[in-house]
Amino acid sequence: MTPEQFLYHEAQLMDEMRFDEWFALWLETGTYWVPIDPADEEGSRRVSIIHDDYLRLEQRVDRLKSGSVLAVEEARGAMRRIVSNIAVTADDGAELAVESNFMLGIARSSDQQFWMGRSFHRLRREGDGFRIAGKKVLLINSRREIPLLQFLI
Amino acid sequence: MATKVDNAPVDFASLAEGPRVHGSVYRDPEIFQRELERIWYKVWVYIGHESEVPNRGDFVRRQIGLQPVLMVRGDDDVVRVFYNRCRHRANLVCLADQGNAKKFVCPYHAWSYANTGELLEPTFDEGYDYDLDKDQFPLVELPRQDSYRGLVFASVAEEGISLAEHLGPVTEFLDLFMDLSPEGEIALDAGVQKVRYKGNWKYMPENSMEGDYHGPFIHKIAFELFSRRSGLDVGTLHEEEIPDVIRSLPGGHMVEDYRGAPLAPPKGEPSPARKEYAAMLRERYGEEKAGQLLGTMAPLLYVFPNMIYIMTHIRTVQPVDVDQTYSYYYPVMLKGAPEEINRARLSDHEFMFGSAGFVSPDDVEIMERNQVGMKAEGNDWLFIGRGLHREREMPDGGRSGFTMDETHLRGFWRHYVKLMSGDAE
Repeated sequence: MTPEQFLYHEAQLMDEMRFDEWFALWLETGTYWVPIDPADEEGSRRVSIIHDDYLRLEQRVDRLKSGSVLAVEEARGAMRRIVSNIAVTADDGAELAVESNFMLGIARSSDQQFWMGRSFHRLRREGDGFRIAGKKVLLINSRREIPLLQFLI
Repeated sequence: MATKVDNAPVDFASLAEGPRVHGSVYRDPEIFQRELERIWYKVWVYIGHESEVPNRGDFVRRQIGLQPVLMVRGDDDVVRVFYNRCRHRANLVCLADQGNAKKFVCPYHAWSYANTGELLEPTFDEGYDYDLDKDQFPLVELPRQDSYRGLVFASVAEEGISLAEHLGPVTEFLDLFMDLSPEGEIALDAGVQKVRYKGNWKYMPENSMEGDYHGPFIHKIAFELFSRRSGLDVGTLHEEEIPDVIRSLPGGHMVEDYRGAPLAPPKGEPSPARKEYAAMLRERYGEEKAGQLLGTMAPLLYVFPNMIYIMTHIRTVQPVDVDQTYSYYYPVMLKGAPEEINRARLSDHEFMFGSAGFVSPDDVEIMERNQVGMKAEGNDWLFIGRGLHREREMPDGGRSGFTMDETHLRGFWRHYVKLMSGDAE
């Protein structure tokens, strides 16, 4: 499996809300981070949009699949993203740093939304594939007023 | 300035009376315009906290109603609120959300202003064929500005009641969350989450202050996750209704006061930082007050018209249009508290709030659906009658109700009607 194939697979799991399969991609050391200010550094005492350690990520997944989150149901089956501009920026044999752009469309009854950003994955080689050792997502509108983000990005 | 609708034949007193509110107040563009004139451009509006501009030259961009303003700490160390508008041809003087500036230079024709407001340089001023008196062209300050414990308020109106009169008894509740700091000072220095929703601005204060009633329905999963994580069982707050939790205050302010509803103590031994923090509070406030600060949740409060405090943060409400609102969530850090305490507050905040949190998004989704539901005009009255039969008059002029009562919402609307009818300021 190439890093590209892995990112496409991950995107499909997120689009199709296959929460358990997506969560299984993660290593327990992983941090899922969507900062507000692109200049923020990991560990700075600055509020983020999402800043999940593994336990929080599990809670996020538990909540999203609980069936009781109002914003989730509408997005089911109504979301697709394109992953592109993929670049491997570091590779020490065991772990890769991969950057990619995404564009995500969601059809809701009230509007159709488009989200864009750049993802920064740390991918650990495991067997023929990869596990996620960390993921940061910079939204192009992270510093502006954003609508609900009740899905995986 | 907003469109004038002074001749609109609306009897505002009839739009909210007793336990009912008319749907048009969330939906009618003319009423929204009237709100700008009679509420947003009349009363004291929360701008920000002085800790957001700690150094000389620091500024943040804000809005009162639809009008852009700047809160700036000048080189003279005074915090001022200016209209964000060049005196030349009215361009935005400052586009950045925040930053530090020795001077503000208008991008249009480069007129420049000191961070204390004085006009420094109209460019090419040899072209003005009369003596241009620079003193006549400073950035315009908001006519009324005042602060309470670092919370900066301003008003567009030249005249009106003082800030102290506007706040009235709500200061007792403001004190309680600020006293969580061992130095008695909060810091809004952890950034801000910015949220937008397609709904009227008034849903935000109403929904934010009645979580005890809607919580068991829309936040069930979040409360379960929170209890499992923190050992603090917020679910117990709903189990039996407690009197005097819900408070309306004069001036349209709303409070959920949990001092009579102690939380079950967290499971397990407190961390060293937690113990150190508890000792700091005992040192500053004494055993009794420290016990109260630690053993319950600080009251949730709404300061009319745009400031909310909930658990971890100050939230502001910013109308954009009758059916569009922005909301800003500023985590409240406690000066002097151990770093671990503030980091835990920030982590709890991210758990619950913002666009991707586990609690407030359910509220925002509800507000958006509320705006759609409100388009059905069959019987156009909302009913906010819970606890009407048992609400009590309080010595401070407000009223109190039980945990899930709508007493405070009725207080909000009483004040709203007074302002909209021109009977209050």
